[in-house]
Amino acid sequence: MPNTRCARAIIFAAPFIVAAGFGARAQDNPAFYRDVETKYIFGFTEGSGIGLEGEREFSLETVARMGKRDGRYWASETKLEYEFTPNQYVQFELGPLVSTHVIKDVTDMDNRNQLAMSGFFGEVRYLILDRGPSSPLAITLSAEPEWHRIDETSGARVKNFGLELKINADLELVKNRLYLGGNLLYEPEATHDPDGIGAGWEKESTGGISGALSYRVLPSMFVGAEIWYLRHYDGAWFNTFTGDAVFLGPTAYFQLSRKVFMTAAWNVQIHGRDVDDPGSTLNLAEFSRQRGKLKLAVEF
Amino acid sequence: MISTNAKTVFALLLLAASSLPASAQQTATVTISVKNHHFQPAQIQAPAKVPIELHVKNLDPTPMEFESVSLRVEKVVAGNSEGIIRLRPLEPGSYNFFDDFNQQTNGVLVVR
Repeated sequence: MPNTRCARAIIFAAPFIVAAGFGARAQDNPAFYRDVETKYIFGFTEGSGIGLEGEREFSLETVARMGKRDGRYWASETKLEYEFTPNQYVQFELGPLVSTHVIKDVTDMDNRNQLAMSGFFGEVRYLILDRGPSSPLAITLSAEPEWHRIDETSGARVKNFGLELKINADLELVKNRLYLGGNLLYEPEATHDPDGIGAGWEKESTGGISGALSYRVLPSMFVGAEIWYLRHYDGAWFNTFTGDAVFLGPTAYFQLSRKVFMTAAWNVQIHGRDVDDPGSTLNLAEFSRQRGKLKLAVEF
Repeated sequence: MISTNAKTVFALLLLAASSLPASAQQTATVTISVKNHHFQPAQIQAPAKVPIELHVKNLDPTPMEFESVSLRVEKVVAGNSEGIIRLRPLEPGSYNFFDDFNQQTNGVLVVR
């Protein structure tokens, strides 16, 4: 019914309209829409922020991947993350990883129902281009080495090393309100004999690019959307293309209190190609149908 | 015998050391106070493109936290004491800051 649809649209849009009006009135008050750290406002896409000198943070960040071609598939990895910023250019993060896998009747995977301490990660972020009063663009380089004892996809015991290299950029489109973000990703990794056949180190790599838009509807809340294009290869240097995928979804960021914030994102695979399955419209061999991210952080 | 390479390294070290006082002289010192939960003055000025040493005197008996995302610093200053914050060279423009323990306490650094 058109009237019902119209009513639903009004109900859905009302909070945003109210928020936009509220925001417009508050726009001239600098205490209301303060400068913001952009690192976490774009979902899976990371902004350029490196925190404030002297700031430390503890967070729980969970990334979950759901759905394969058949059966039941859930895999998550949680970072127990300690983050600190020793000066105005560099940020460090480190911590253990915890994974869960619930896999049942998925082709080429063992059934599994497990929770495990799955590895360790570190990250260094370096700000190479600073945002200033006359330059709205900021760029950060990040490098994240990871060690895994549990395979992220299958949950099997492995010896895996990876290095996630990223360029994180964002552009302030409207002062303290609207931001455009983007990442460029290169992630080589090596797994020792993953199939237990004495094959030695098996190498693979993932490349990706993302774009995200995030709007501050309230002083303590951002909503937005992001799109990711990911390509997977055998070999550490983009050697043999095996498939790609496009993910799209909404993002949100909430400042819950003065020192506590939460960020959430949900991505759905909307297109993909699998070299081994030419007729497919999704790549469910290397990627999942959906993925979600939830992060809760406390600064101190 | 000291090799030519060692002499070159020594000369470079001397040159680097001799440049330190020159850099130190270029640091601008700016002082601001906090009293009755207000920055005094609420607007301060500093020269562009030189390191800045910001002295924050907290004249209140309670602690305050100087914070600024655009300056990328936060520092807790205990009551009746002084904190020193070293800022990177900044481009001309306005940089807002506030007391995170009392968010109505706002100020601005104008860099020219």
